[in-house]
Amino acid sequence: MVNYTDDPFQMDEEIPEYYSGNDVSPRSKSPSYIPESKASSQNSLLQEITPRYSEILNHKLQQDNNLIRSRIEQLKMEEEGVNTTTTEEEEDAPKYEEDIDDKLDVNLQKKLQLEYEKTMDMDQPLTPPENFAPIINTIYRSSFPQPNNFSFIKTLKLKSILCLIPEEYPQLHTEFLSHENIKLFQLGMSGNKEPFVKISSDLITEAIRIVLNPENQPILIHCNRGKHRTGCLVGVIRRLQNWSLTIIFDEYRKFAAPKERPMDQQFIELYDDTEAIKYCQQYNLLPLKWDN
Amino acid sequence: MPTNHEDIKPVLVPPLNFSLVEDTIYRSGFPMPINYPFLNTLKLKTIIYLGDLGHEKKEKKKDKHGTGEIMQNYQDWLNTTDITFHNLLVESSQEPFNKREEHEQTIKSLTIALQLMLNKENFPMLIHSNKGKHRTGLVVGLMRKLLQGWCLSGIFEEYEKFAMGKSEYDLELIELWQPELYVDDTNKPEFVRI
Repeated sequence: MVNYTDDPFQMDEEIPEYYSGNDVSPRSKSPSYIPESKASSQNSLLQEITPRYSEILNHKLQQDNNLIRSRIEQLKMEEEGVNTTTTEEEEDAPKYEEDIDDKLDVNLQKKLQLEYEKTMDMDQPLTPPENFAPIINTIYRSSFPQPNNFSFIKTLKLKSILCLIPEEYPQLHTEFLSHENIKLFQLGMSGNKEPFVKISSDLITEAIRIVLNPENQPILIHCNRGKHRTGCLVGVIRRLQNWSLTIIFDEYRKFAAPKERPMDQQFIELYDDTEAIKYCQQYNLLPLKWDN
Repeated sequence: MPTNHEDIKPVLVPPLNFSLVEDTIYRSGFPMPINYPFLNTLKLKTIIYLGDLGHEKKEKKKDKHGTGEIMQNYQDWLNTTDITFHNLLVESSQEPFNKREEHEQTIKSLTIALQLMLNKENFPMLIHSNKGKHRTGLVVGLMRKLLQGWCLSGIFEEYEKFAMGKSEYDLELIELWQPELYVDDTNKPEFVRI
């Protein structure tokens, strides 16, 4: 790589390759490596986007492996893929590179709508995740957010997300979170599989500690569908608010419909809130505040 | 069964279909005396009522459901607070849509309601109708679309959650109506995107 940078005879069409080579370790990459005069807008866009999207990253990784193996091989690749063997074509080559970048960009828009919303934030309608609702203050609930909900989630200005499923968080989502500086808490609990598997009281208490900690708010709670596990946790929060059970269950059923589980409601009713209340009292959180 | 916690404080009963809409905006059905202690905890500044109580067209011979008394109770409770009460009649939308006067009344009320929601000086605010389903859902839906720019599917999902299968014709109005609203930037709530 270093040879590359120092090479005074570097040709124009090599520049994009050089950048993609650097993209291998995107976290350590510094934009100062880029000769500003040579970096086209497309290239810098690529630089911005790349670290966040695994697919591109893999693509770049693969390209780089080829680079490392030998520069000749890479040049061969250029011959095949970029078609810039003769000096006559030198002037056309950069245009071709731009096209490649454009293609990447379009794919990204289609797939994620992430980069787009920076410029079109005001025009695009926001899509909340299924079963989204504010609970109290800046605590929110929803189903598993999908990429097309990211622009909506941005508007919540979240500090953290509490995920209640045991499965590993998808990479696309972790990348979105790290980009937005959102902290992820994960408490893997399995839902009430009536009548045998029960929601764990300890995990719910742990969840209460996370959710009610003002340092973590605004916070979004989600499981998979935003019905049962999230519903149980919200029910417990409502109990800390001292709501009547009738109204708590009414709310639970609204979100769980049409799959309301009696055992979830039983859990909400029988949950021993001693520990949770102790925590709240310790930090003087009761009564829970509706606003700041 | 009662823990210490429950011994100390009385149980709070939120009104039917109560929910948080946005920070310091709430929605519900008609508050009954059992709900007043709960509503006191919200420290409301404004209440918008969209229903028909207090707007009876002709003197009823008999007040079959005792709605007069309920309204009177409610007024009495409101007088004990500093809440500004807006009684905006929204006719429940039904076919056939040939009652022009009713429609105009509805449009007028909805515009006032949205205008009130554009001023954060009015918050905390409760929006309620009778059951907290259709008329309230209509106003919240309009707010989601016009003030916040939500997509229609998200709006309808939320509407349906409270209306539970009786969507009537509100969704059509949410989709089609384009009012002119005056936005004062100094008092614009944070959730507004226009």
